[in-house]
Amino acid sequence: MSLALGRRLKIRAMVHVAGEPIPFFWPMRTFIHHNPLYGLEHQPFEKAVAQGARLFHGRGFLPRPLQQRYLIEGKVDVSVLADQVARFIAGQPGVPGLDLHRLLMTLLTEITEPFGAPPPLANARDIHAAVAGLALPAREIGEATLVAQVGADMLPGRPLYAIVDALFGTEIGATLDELVIKSCLDFFDEGQSVWQMPGREHGLFAAWSAVARRNLRLFIRGLHIKRILAADDTPEGIISHVMDELGVPEDDWMNCFTCELTRLHGWAGFIRWRAGAKHYHWSRHYPADLVDYLAIRLVLGLALLREHAQRKGTPANAADLARFVEGHPAEAYLRHEFHGGRVLPEMAHAVEDAIASGRAARIARLLPQYLARKREHEARRHAHQLLKLAGRAGIVDVLQRLAEEDIARLGVLIGRFEQEEGRMWLCAQEARYMDRLLANLNLEPPSQREKRPFAQVMFCIDVRSERIRRHLEKVGDYQTFGIAGFFGVPVSFIGLDKGSELHLCPVVVSPKNVVLELGIARSANEQAFVSALEQVFHELKASVLSPFITVEAIGLLFGLDMFGKSLAPLAYNRWRQRLHQDKPDSRLLLDKLSREQAESIIRALQRAMIVKALGRDLGIPREAITDEMIRELRESALGNHAEPTGFAHAFRLDAQAEARFIERLRSVYRINRGYAQIQLERLGRIGFTLDEQVHFVSQALRSIGLTEGFSRFVLLSGHGSTSENNPYESALDCGACGGNHGITNARVLAQIANKPAVRARLREQGVAIPDDTWFVPAFHNTTTDELRLYDLDLLPSSHLVYLERLSNGLEAASRLCAAERMGTLEGAARSGDPASAYRLARRNAMDWSQVRPEWGLARNAAFVIGRRHVTRQLDLEGRAFLNSYDYRCDPKGRLLENILAGPLVVGQWINMEHYFSAVDNDHYGSGSKVYHNIAGRFGVMTGNLSDLRTGLPAQTVLKDGAPYHEPLRLLTVIEAPFAHARGAIEGVVAVRNLMRNGWLRMAVVDPEAHAVHVFEDGTWSQRPLQVVGGVTEEKELAL
Amino acid sequence: MTLLLIAALFLPLFPLSFVFNGALAQLRHPAARSALLLLWPQIGVGLLQFAPQPVPQYFVPWALLTAGVYALRLLTVRDMGRWAGFVATSGLALAWALASGGPDIADLHLFAFWFSVPPALMALLAAPLTRRFGAAYAGLQGGLMGCLPRMSGVLAVTVLAAVATPPFPGFFALLRLLRALDWAGAVGGLAIWLVWGWAGTKLLQGFIFGADHAHSVRDIGRASTLAYTGVLGAFVAAGLYLTGGGL
Repeated sequence: MSLALGRRLKIRAMVHVAGEPIPFFWPMRTFIHHNPLYGLEHQPFEKAVAQGARLFHGRGFLPRPLQQRYLIEGKVDVSVLADQVARFIAGQPGVPGLDLHRLLMTLLTEITEPFGAPPPLANARDIHAAVAGLALPAREIGEATLVAQVGADMLPGRPLYAIVDALFGTEIGATLDELVIKSCLDFFDEGQSVWQMPGREHGLFAAWSAVARRNLRLFIRGLHIKRILAADDTPEGIISHVMDELGVPEDDWMNCFTCELTRLHGWAGFIRWRAGAKHYHWSRHYPADLVDYLAIRLVLGLALLREHAQRKGTPANAADLARFVEGHPAEAYLRHEFHGGRVLPEMAHAVEDAIASGRAARIARLLPQYLARKREHEARRHAHQLLKLAGRAGIVDVLQRLAEEDIARLGVLIGRFEQEEGRMWLCAQEARYMDRLLANLNLEPPSQREKRPFAQVMFCIDVRSERIRRHLEKVGDYQTFGIAGFFGVPVSFIGLDKGSELHLCPVVVSPKNVVLELGIARSANEQAFVSALEQVFHELKASVLSPFITVEAIGLLFGLDMFGKSLAPLAYNRWRQRLHQDKPDSRLLLDKLSREQAESIIRALQRAMIVKALGRDLGIPREAITDEMIRELRESALGNHAEPTGFAHAFRLDAQAEARFIERLRSVYRINRGYAQIQLERLGRIGFTLDEQVHFVSQALRSIGLTEGFSRFVLLSGHGSTSENNPYESALDCGACGGNHGITNARVLAQIANKPAVRARLREQGVAIPDDTWFVPAFHNTTTDELRLYDLDLLPSSHLVYLERLSNGLEAASRLCAAERMGTLEGAARSGDPASAYRLARRNAMDWSQVRPEWGLARNAAFVIGRRHVTRQLDLEGRAFLNSYDYRCDPKGRLLENILAGPLVVGQWINMEHYFSAVDNDHYGSGSKVYHNIAGRFGVMTGNLSDLRTGLPAQTVLKDGAPYHEPLRLLTVIEAPFAHARGAIEGVVAVRNLMRNGWLRMAVVDPEAHAVHVFEDGTWSQRPLQVVGGVTEEKELAL
Repeated sequence: MTLLLIAALFLPLFPLSFVFNGALAQLRHPAARSALLLLWPQIGVGLLQFAPQPVPQYFVPWALLTAGVYALRLLTVRDMGRWAGFVATSGLALAWALASGGPDIADLHLFAFWFSVPPALMALLAAPLTRRFGAAYAGLQGGLMGCLPRMSGVLAVTVLAAVATPPFPGFFALLRLLRALDWAGAVGGLAIWLVWGWAGTKLLQGFIFGADHAHSVRDIGRASTLAYTGVLGAFVAAGLYLTGGGL
């Protein structure tokens, strides 16, 4: 049986929409920072946070005690906090005689425990009596109240098993998750398992159902999967069947699907991303989508529900459940209390015994006693909280004089206030940071330079570049710039000896051009002995039986490796690196090939394949054949030569043997017209046209305002990180390069910018790069702070005499940067002087027990778009993305729009990922690295079985259990005339919406009008610019 | 025989064990509970001394049955006070199996002592938990490891002692008992020990692990921690010294 097409499409559409709020999860090999609430970004920040709490059970704001700590540390603007409270009160009904502002400010600043949700049983009359110290008035609580309380947890769309779990203490949800995770691990494995799941090429649902039908373990557990799967062949049909069996009204399906999908949102996010990643090898070979995933969940869920119904008598569908609650309200209520964790602790044992006995009379005897004590407990607790608050505010007598209805109003008001207080704290904290940053910006025009700087260095906008830029500017005559780390060149890169393309650009961009890395003077068959040995070791460890022998035979070698890595990581790794052959020098193929060149390459490849085929299939060596024979064979394979070949004649092959060989050339060695066309198209993607090359260089230089005054050296510094035993290594790499190292993009742009043809065209456009200017690619290792120069063999000899000075300067900056950074990582005591700090940083990068090799982008808070002199005098503590921009070079605002649409959006993703990972690391982050295990080579799980952990680990955003990353929304500061900046902001819809919905803060500092414009509460407001007074020590300006 | 049955009230055997557990349930004060757990079984051993006849062999399966029933009951009990009573009942019942072999009465006193001390400590530990959360009930307030690290540490070690984990004396006493039993009895004893371990893990899971819901609760003081640790340390040392001959 199969569902009608229309119905199937409808179900697919419903699942697609239901999965919208779930953020993508990219494989961790290329970690992409993203907003965990990306699917809700179309909503205002507060609303999205509230919905995120419902969907993902995550907290959107820091808890009050942490905010109070920030207040003590001076990181919160109290006046803004008070203003926020006043604005809240203005929108609420008052409570006569009560100073609400004082009360609520006291609540915020002096009370650590929140009031929480209003008590379900005690009403205002009870609380009023408790506040007055009187006995509670007698009151009967009817069955309707109990049913309503149970019903509050049975929201439309909530999965039936979740309600059964909440009432009967079963663990169907947990078991279901476990089974689903195991199925996902089997199917999505990317080479971690030795034995693969069969039939994966048919898709997730088909492969899983084929295995599940024969799964004896599931059958023994009483899960009759086969019966459910017999209802339909398609996942859509199965979804429809299960929902009907459960008795869920179709109006609730969408909510139900969302609940099901968000339960393991890591896995769902990965499947959602994978389904859309058409270039992804594993998804092309083993397809899967959310419909497959949901069908599996529903089948297993139904089977588990039925098994529990049979064994324990729990409801198996919605109708049974409704009947149970209506027929046994007292039992349902007590079950709801006990299994929901709401039970009064002192009566927990009695309640458990009563519901376990299942005797209605016993439950009926216990219920009134329980309700009375619970009501009393709630009323006294709430009254105690109110009295404590009033006591701190010095208004106890006022509170005790309040009427019942005023107590009720106050309770409601406090409840609403606590729902909004997170936003108030956040605004007050952001205001303090914004004031400090804006007040210290330098808007005076920069003084003219007498001579050109010794070197100019372009760094990524990454917050980690701020520190090294500051130190580099301090140690010598260096001028630094900030530019998105892919340097504006989206590259699809095929590295040396690699067979697949790597996208080196922000994930929002799809590169069109391929850059090929070619080795210099390298034999094709050359393979380092050590690499081969390592491969053998890996195979021995990974296969099924060989580890038993391997441990006995060569286990000691692994022991040596372990001691080396643990006891002397720096020295040991240096020694190991010496064993590996250095990567050979290489060049990048950047220029477009002409058609003739491409055809010539294809011809050469085809000829090489024919030689290989002759050797392998017929055992004929190359010296026995001539070029003419090869040409004839090639023409025959392509269908251009119908007659017998000279080759067949020379080697006395009959017509059939010759035809067979030519057919093999076509089918096995792919020498045919179709494949030649594909090769031609692929070769057409290699390289950039001259126009494109000129455009990239021109745009990169203009966007940062570097159109004149070029130095002898212009360094293009890409960045990346190195760490051992760290699945999150790629999270520390360059986000603008799609979570990869940025050196390739730097090499590409440098190679292009050094071409005379490009420079000639640039000169025509008004960007005159002097002949003695040389673009040098460099790599900034953010874990060690090392700055390493690349492609020095291309450096003109005239520049070699300056190389020593350049290297010295870079190394000095690296050491100073390490000294500053190690203080935050290891404590000032261990970091010591710059040289030892530098050594310590390199040790961290090689220590396999190091869970925090660097802080990465933690503490990011601001994104400054403007000229360097605006921030040059500030120590921004590595908290600001610095994107160089000179509005004078961009009269139409197009370059600014590009910065807003690309780097700023990526920065906002990074900021939000850090924000939510710091605020609620358990739900939006990935918890402690200590418990992490690699899952399928694409993600991590906590323990041996869990949801895929999304977000950042605790070690990246927390220190000693408290946030190291101060969660603030990204403050974007644009240095440009207000009208110019505003025009660009309005021109980029995505950024405009982010700003209006409160996902980032926006400020424009106008250097011409000397004014600051801040976007607040949906509108722009102007503030006078405070001028930095006198000569101030750099550290004093630290933000 | 009458004296033996009276002794079975104190070294509790099912169903006479109801008296012991009923008395424990009636007592509210933790010190009183603790004292009962320590002294009650010693009275039973004292009575055995005056028994006119040796302990009959059919007491061995009876003792193992009692220990097994209470061990299984531990798996479902979540109230820490009751859990302490049941684990004590299960352990003390085994004293009859040892007594049937006619050992020195001092050994029996020690055996009862080794299985009384950890439950007595648990009875004391239930009090601070009850003060903080309203009840010492597993599963209601998980994640104590995060908010009450000292309390969690002491509780974990005490539960390990209660389920006769090495190097606590209960383990060595159990070894001594296994040597005294025939193979069927020894298998039964081992099965009971296994169930204790399972029940102990479940109890700790309900208290110590999981999400932390009680950030603002104060941990037990340093002095209390030292006192509990000292008692447990002395318990281990005494056990190692005094049970050494039994191995």
